[in-house]
Amino acid sequence: MKHYQLGEFEEVVMLTVGVLYNEAYGVSIKKEIESRLSRSVSVGALQTALIRLEDKGYLKSREGEATEERAGRPKKYFEITALGARVLDHVRSTREELWNSIPKVALKLIMTN
Amino acid sequence: MTTPAPPKLPLRFFRWYCHPKLRDSIEGDLMELYAERRVKHAKWKADLQFVWDVLLLFRKGIIRPTEGYQNLNNYGMLKNYFTIGWRNLAKDKMFSFINIAGLSLGLTCSMLIFLWIRDEYAIDAFHRDIDRIYTVTSVEYSGTEVTGGYDTPGLLAEELGKSIPEVERACSFSWSTFYSFSADDKKVKLNGTFAGPEFFSMFSYPILLGSKETALQSPESIALSRNMATSLFGSPEAAMNKAVRFENQTELKVTAVFEDIGDMASEKFDFLMTWELFLRREPWAKDWHNSGATTFVKLREHTDAAAVSAKIREFIKSYDKEYSSLDRLELGLQPFREKYLHSNFKNGHLDGGRIEYVQLFTVVAIFITLMACINFMNLSTAKSVRRAKEIGVRKVTGAVRGSLILQFMLESLLITTVAVVVSVVLVTAALPQFNAFTGKNIHSPIAELQFWGGLTALAALTALIAGSYPALLLSSFRPIAVLKNNFRNDSSSVAFRKTLVVVQFALAIIFSVGMIVISSQLNFIQNKNLGYQKNNLIYLPMEGYVATHYETFKDEALKLPGVTAITRMNQRPVEMENSTGAVEWEGKAPNTLPNFTHAAVGYDFIKTMQSELLLGRDFDEAFADSTNYLINETAWKIIGYKDPIGAPLTFWGRKGTIIGVVKDFHFNSFHVSIKPLIIRLKRGSQGYALIRTAPDKTHEALAALEKLHQRINPDFLFAHQFADEEYRYMYQREEMVQRLSTGFALVAIFISCLGLLGLVIFTAEQRTKEIGVRKVLGAKSRQIVTLLAGDFLSLVLVAIAIAAPVAYYAMTQWLTGFEYHVSVQWWMLAWAAGGAIAIASATISVHAVKAALANPVKSLRSE
Repeated sequence: MKHYQLGEFEEVVMLTVGVLYNEAYGVSIKKEIESRLSRSVSVGALQTALIRLEDKGYLKSREGEATEERAGRPKKYFEITALGARVLDHVRSTREELWNSIPKVALKLIMTN
Repeated sequence: MTTPAPPKLPLRFFRWYCHPKLRDSIEGDLMELYAERRVKHAKWKADLQFVWDVLLLFRKGIIRPTEGYQNLNNYGMLKNYFTIGWRNLAKDKMFSFINIAGLSLGLTCSMLIFLWIRDEYAIDAFHRDIDRIYTVTSVEYSGTEVTGGYDTPGLLAEELGKSIPEVERACSFSWSTFYSFSADDKKVKLNGTFAGPEFFSMFSYPILLGSKETALQSPESIALSRNMATSLFGSPEAAMNKAVRFENQTELKVTAVFEDIGDMASEKFDFLMTWELFLRREPWAKDWHNSGATTFVKLREHTDAAAVSAKIREFIKSYDKEYSSLDRLELGLQPFREKYLHSNFKNGHLDGGRIEYVQLFTVVAIFITLMACINFMNLSTAKSVRRAKEIGVRKVTGAVRGSLILQFMLESLLITTVAVVVSVVLVTAALPQFNAFTGKNIHSPIAELQFWGGLTALAALTALIAGSYPALLLSSFRPIAVLKNNFRNDSSSVAFRKTLVVVQFALAIIFSVGMIVISSQLNFIQNKNLGYQKNNLIYLPMEGYVATHYETFKDEALKLPGVTAITRMNQRPVEMENSTGAVEWEGKAPNTLPNFTHAAVGYDFIKTMQSELLLGRDFDEAFADSTNYLINETAWKIIGYKDPIGAPLTFWGRKGTIIGVVKDFHFNSFHVSIKPLIIRLKRGSQGYALIRTAPDKTHEALAALEKLHQRINPDFLFAHQFADEEYRYMYQREEMVQRLSTGFALVAIFISCLGLLGLVIFTAEQRTKEIGVRKVLGAKSRQIVTLLAGDFLSLVLVAIAIAAPVAYYAMTQWLTGFEYHVSVQWWMLAWAAGGAIAIASATISVHAVKAALANPVKSLRSE
């Protein structure tokens, strides 16, 4: 398989977009990450990651409805593309391969220490 | 619930930097977050977080790119203009070539001329206090004659320094001459002169060794150039304080060595000797009634030069015993900076000089650039038909006239820039040749920032001139007419194009006439019978043994093969400058002081010169001729004797008789008329031996002379000169103008032809269908060629009609600068006109024939 570029934060963002399925836009993604991973996410960092992922073709976006609390600005919804899905799958399988390759004993020893 | 408004300033900042594509959605996110936080937190905290978010958003990927969005700037459109411009250039390769070739040639010419002019103005600028240095000018009143010049008495500098407080320094300077010097066994003959002790303090010639104050202090001092010091002693250091023999008789001591004088100085010399020595050698210069030295003064700072000039006007009066209203010398000042370019005198006043050529070439440069611009205008307006649709579409989609003007200006700038780049390459390539033409040493200015600045300005100006008309015309098209396809070039623009072609050809013809007239004048100068035979005449300076034992030398030399006659003369016959008013004769009108040129010669003068005697005889050893005089025809007319032979004549107070009248011969340049001349016999040791050789034996004679010279005069170099070469040298300025005018005329004609070719191609293309129809209906190729060519040839004829009188007038003016000149003949105009017609016809027919021979089926098929 070809080499895919995916940073840690990018992976988190993509997975969150997947979690939120159909409801993933700026604020919701931010909140989801903050609550699930208990780390703070700035709008800037998130938006840059989203733009980069969109440029790579892992995410696609569509204009959504405008609400009152957004002062009439439209939401921009994101969803994972087929390519994005493949990339996530690839990342996951490579991780799993790595996990599986660690000798059980070694890991156990370390954890118990 | 209304949405709470976040702080304005950060929001505006965000809107300003954010990429427009992202702006709305991210702003929405920010608003939503802010609204939420306002509910949870205090306002200040929400505000702070908002600001923080905005700041963190300021990063790559979110900031908009610096180009590419409407409302912000016009980069996109400008980019489009350039793209379209390039495509047009690439599409019409022939047009582009003609345009760029014409423009680059024109720019190359004007750049070269600019470099030349700049170099002319930079001469002498290296002197530090040049704005305070002045040359003393003099006006000599002698009877009714008024002569202006730089000749002043030899003691003037010293007196001016002493008695005029405004004068900080003053120094005398003499004319340059080749002198022989020797040191040990080394001999050189170099050009140099005498100067007053303050010379090096006044001017900024760099001194290598010695001090500028003492260099010319004691009478037996000499300052050498690095070049002369090296050739005599091996190095400047070795030369200091060494002895040098001057003319094999005077021992001088080297007191200073100065750097070789480059091309940027108007006064050049390889050595300077002291003024003391000059006065010792030329005692006449001490007399205040005589003049011959140049005087430079340096005024104190903040001095009014005009006031000083007025003050010294009659300075000589109190020194010169013979000073009278009829015979006097008045002084003035000329800034030294101006001397190089303004050094001609007319009726006692400064009147032009090299500056005339600077002005002439400036005009030429402007005209040539203009011609190239005309090409551009012509071709772009002609091409406008092809661009009409583009303009229509642009207008329909909302282009205003201003933006179309901008578009065409930018296109013009694009082409000019390409042309400028090409011409910089051409200039660099042509510089060595140009330097050889003009006798300059101009370096390529590519490394100079100033040059590029000037170039940018030139490109912008050319683009503006060349682009102005097309831009205005093309932008005025009506979109409906253009898009309906019933657009035609209207008659006014056609008329304008024709006018441009006429102007172009008229200029080219004027240049050509100039070239022909200048060449024929130079030809006239070279071939006119001067009244003596300048070919096969050799000068040898009177030095050493030749001077002391002239008679022996003459006897020996006459025995050599090919030597037919020998005489001596105190100056060179091609340029005789000594003159005096001290001539008396019977019946001379009182209170008149006509100026006579005078020369001192040896026996066999007429024989050697091969000039013609009208009356009487040559100086002859058989007679005691020491107080006898020869005069020329002009002098005879002034003196007015009926029978001059044997009539009395008093010259410089010495009574004598006239023994012969010589037919007038030219002993000065053709710029001035032949002056009255008195020739006397003298045995002096200065001047030249004139040697006449048989026409086909000059080489042999020269070789034999050199051998003889080496044997009898071993201390001196055999420094011979040829009279005809010296003569040519007098007209080197005119020769330079001739070469340049030839070059410019050719360039002008070439540019005009390029323009014409472009128009012919275009017209033929426009009339393709017409030509097709005509051919189908039976027109012959010849008739079609005539049809196409006729239009343009009539333009050339109009150009001739305009150019002929202008050229006639201008060249007649130029010729008045010569006292002896050809007149502008009808055949000179005819040659230029004929040449223009021939070249234009050739240009036109190249394409007209092609158009006429084209198969009509091809041109009509699409109908």
